[in-house]
Amino acid sequence: MERREVTFRIKRFNPKKDVRPYYQEYKLTVPRGMTILEALQFIKDEIDPTLAFRAFCRSAICGSCAIKVNGFPKLACKTQVFTELDKFKTSLLTLEPLDNMEVIRDLIVDWDGAFERMKELKPYLIPDPKVVPDTLDEETRVYPEELKKYDKFTDCILCTSCYSICTATQIDEGYGGPFQLARLYRFAVDKRDGLKEERAKIGYAYDMWNCVRCEKCADVCPKHVGPVDAIMRLRGISIDIGLKDNPGARHVLAFYKSLMESGLLNEVLLPLRAKGIKGVLENLPVGIKMILKGKAHSPIMKPISEHESLIKLMKAAMEVE
Amino acid sequence: MLTYDIVIVGAGGGGLYAALETSRCKGLRVAVLTKVYPTRSHTGAAQGGINAALGNVAPDSPEKHAYDTVKGSDFLADQDAVELMCEMAPKVIREMEHMGLPFSRLSDGRIAQRPFGGASFPRTCYAADKTGHVMLQTLYEQCIRFGVEFLNEWFALSLVHNGERIAGLTAVNLRTGSIVGIRARAVILATGGHARIYWKRTSNALGNTGDGPAMALRAGVPLKDMEFVQFHPTGLRRTGILVTEGARGEGGYLINAKGERFMERYAPEKMELAPRDLVSRAIETEIMEGRGFEDEEGNKFVYLDLRHLGRKKILERLPQIRELAIDFEGVDPIEEPIPVRPTAHYSMGGIDTDKFGRTSIKGLYAVGECGCVSVHGANRLGGNSLLDIVVFGKIAGKDAVESIEGLDFVSFPESKVKDEGERIKALFNSDGSEKLSQLRNELSDVMSEGVGIFRSEEGIRRALNKVREIKERAKKLKVYDTELTFNTNLQQTLEFLNMIEVAETIALGALERKESRGAHSRTDYPKRDDEKFLKHSIIRKGDDGELRVSWKPVVITKFPPEERKY
Ligand SMILES: Cc1cc2nc3c(=O)[nH]c(=O)nc-3n(C[C@H](O)[C@H](O)[C@H](O)COP(=O)(O)OP(=O)(O)OC[C@H]3O[C@@H](n4cnc5c(N)ncnc54)[C@H](O)[C@@H]3O)c2cc1C
Ligand code: SF4
Ligand code: SF4
Ligand code: FES
Repeated sequence: MERREVTFRIKRFNPKKDVRPYYQEYKLTVPRGMTILEALQFIKDEIDPTLAFRAFCRSAICGSCAIKVNGFPKLACKTQVFTELDKFKTSLLTLEPLDNMEVIRDLIVDWDGAFERMKELKPYLIPDPKVVPDTLDEETRVYPEELKKYDKFTDCILCTSCYSICTATQIDEGYGGPFQLARLYRFAVDKRDGLKEERAKIGYAYDMWNCVRCEKCADVCPKHVGPVDAIMRLRGISIDIGLKDNPGARHVLAFYKSLMESGLLNEVLLPLRAKGIKGVLENLPVGIKMILKGKAHSPIMKPISEHESLIKLMKAAMEVE
Repeated sequence: MLTYDIVIVGAGGGGLYAALETSRCKGLRVAVLTKVYPTRSHTGAAQGGINAALGNVAPDSPEKHAYDTVKGSDFLADQDAVELMCEMAPKVIREMEHMGLPFSRLSDGRIAQRPFGGASFPRTCYAADKTGHVMLQTLYEQCIRFGVEFLNEWFALSLVHNGERIAGLTAVNLRTGSIVGIRARAVILATGGHARIYWKRTSNALGNTGDGPAMALRAGVPLKDMEFVQFHPTGLRRTGILVTEGARGEGGYLINAKGERFMERYAPEKMELAPRDLVSRAIETEIMEGRGFEDEEGNKFVYLDLRHLGRKKILERLPQIRELAIDFEGVDPIEEPIPVRPTAHYSMGGIDTDKFGRTSIKGLYAVGECGCVSVHGANRLGGNSLLDIVVFGKIAGKDAVESIEGLDFVSFPESKVKDEGERIKALFNSDGSEKLSQLRNELSDVMSEGVGIFRSEEGIRRALNKVREIKERAKKLKVYDTELTFNTNLQQTLEFLNMIEVAETIALGALERKESRGAHSRTDYPKRDDEKFLKHSIIRKGDDGELRVSWKPVVITKFPPEERKY
């Protein structure tokens, strides 16, 4: 049975007591098959009972245990230690709390903000009396194709991984958030729902157009939900219901137009796709936030070489039309 | 001190359904208190499905559902309660469907149903293999819709009553560490199961530690049929994580080391789809008689083979099972069989209630897995627990609202909060000569050996003595973490103390029940004995701290006990 010596470097912080976060190292002999969660519990049981982390189902269904493993959001319970060691070619794993949320203690973050935001988006079915029978003697007929439209988006376990790395969430306080908007979309295409397309307005009000399609939400989702797909489709609905004509939508369209004209898209989206937000921030240390909000011109406007393909990309980004 | 009209402890399917029911009555102050964020509750882990005689796939009726349930229970279930549950089943399923639950569908748009163990027809409604997950999410969404108030990440400590009526409870806010008294005119316990007692081999979440039954026991409220613990036949080899019965429902085979579909020997008609108690015993027998596999770590197991179902069916109907097998066993069921062994799964026993969820204390209710109505008797059928939690969650919620009308609050002595503070303080100040992980493993071992799948007088006695010894030693457990904020060291210790209390009642019940029935299989009394034991065991803690066993008759309406054959 293979065993390896592993150092876990864990970020610790108790805001009630510590001035600032610090890292603490624990050395363990790890057998093949051990998950990160089992390693954490081992540390708690055998080395340091004060280590704080959340976990419940230990089978990747409750969403409690998401943390950062060497910088990437992961469910601790379904991530094997050896897999990570091999991936990073290392014997040291750094475990940290998720970003974008305040730390309550050690690896435990405050979910309240993310969940309150979800609640604001009205994430529940409001039955359509024309579709849903008003008697409990009958069920609504929903055909398998109809279910398919939203089935995948019901897999979300609210682990907040996507929220923790979402580019738009980082730069726009008013942004609805990836899993939140995905749930909104799930109802927008449920025939039983009374609001249906109207829900796109909610997405609209919560800045869904500010999603930069970096796709990180899809990359990190342990349940393969892919919130960005839902957001793109929700945008499609919003255009369909004519949301492009009100002032807010005009603002969004103008933003896109200016992007198209200036070729700024190169600067904003391409590095983002390639390297993620970090790459973008390195390229554009100032003004990125304003640009993405469509409120400023780019400080670095270059002549455009591939204007055509850029327009195509732009169009793809808009999805509709 | 906080004050509510009704406090619901637990936010799984049982607690949330009760909450929705109470929210119909405007003007009541209701709170759901839960130690984990609601959607983390263990209901979300349920994979296979929920039973109701919709008759969408084959003609069916509530009466047939009731019969299968009673037979599955080895005739220990109360038949009036079973009839009520099966009668209400189609309606609650449709109610949840109207709430938006994304059930899998037939090509004609109706809710799909799959076969499950012990059922005569495909009766189990499902959403692929994530039924509990979408149920929990849907119920939570509706709770948001109706403005249900939640106390998230609060841990209930004790119940307060005046011997007749409930006064409320004490709880600790995990985030701040403060211990709070909560007055209420009614309290509904929905704290889930306690199979974590079998720590090393269970399908249950880390927090399924029997907090509800332990609190009830300490408060002098009786528990019922505690000896019945269900072992699910197919837990993953290493972790005990569940592979749903749906995998066999879809046609999976169980194979021993000789390559035989050995269920032929035990249940020639139903084969893999015999009830759980029977299949679990069959697997253990194969392993004991040397026809199992063994890996290099010494884990013993048999195979669950899905390969013949084909890639398409596996991806469509059992996608999560496939992922679990890959992530936790490194086995892709499309290519290879899955190594499995029975795992502690479900608590048939629980807080003694009537069919309205009422306990011996007025205003105190118990629903879901922490309670025992009883509709599962000696062995629960797959797909009947999700049904139980929503049906009786609904009924208890409604009854609680009606029962408190015109009733005042009962006095809540401030000292009760202090008592809990003292109990906790003692844990910080103990000498720490015993260690939590050590005791937890010992408890798991002794319970698996003595009161596991096969039991005998000698083994049970040994287990009982050992549990009592562990209980004594647990007084020397120390909480090393002294912080107030999210003290998970304290929480895990309190949970363990609850588990020991519940473990003792399991062993005691097992000792007293000198027969084999359902999940309770005694090698020294291999037959069911209706003359002496067609009754519920009741265990209560007296004021002197001693446990006392008594018996209560089983309600029989339509289905006279008969021999159970599959
Ligand atoms: C892996 C698995 C698969 C299953 N599959 C199926 C299936 O397919 N079909 C079926 O019918 N059944 C299935 N079951 C059984 C079924 O899921 C459970 O019996 C049922 O979900 C229990 O629901 P509940 O509402 O009683 O409790 P739970 O969902 O367990 O919820 C308990 C709640 O109580 C809270 N709580 C507990 N203690 C405290 C405390 N001290 N203070 C505050 N809050 C507390 C928790 O936070 C939680 O919110 C399965 C069980 C498991 C383990
Ligand atoms: S694609 Fe959009 S929603 Fe997803 S992480 Fe990027 S900005 Fe956020
Ligand atoms: S969408 Fe995926 S990553 Fe985001 S919260 Fe849901 S499960 Fe987690
Ligand atoms: S512990 Fe539930 S998802 Fe990891």
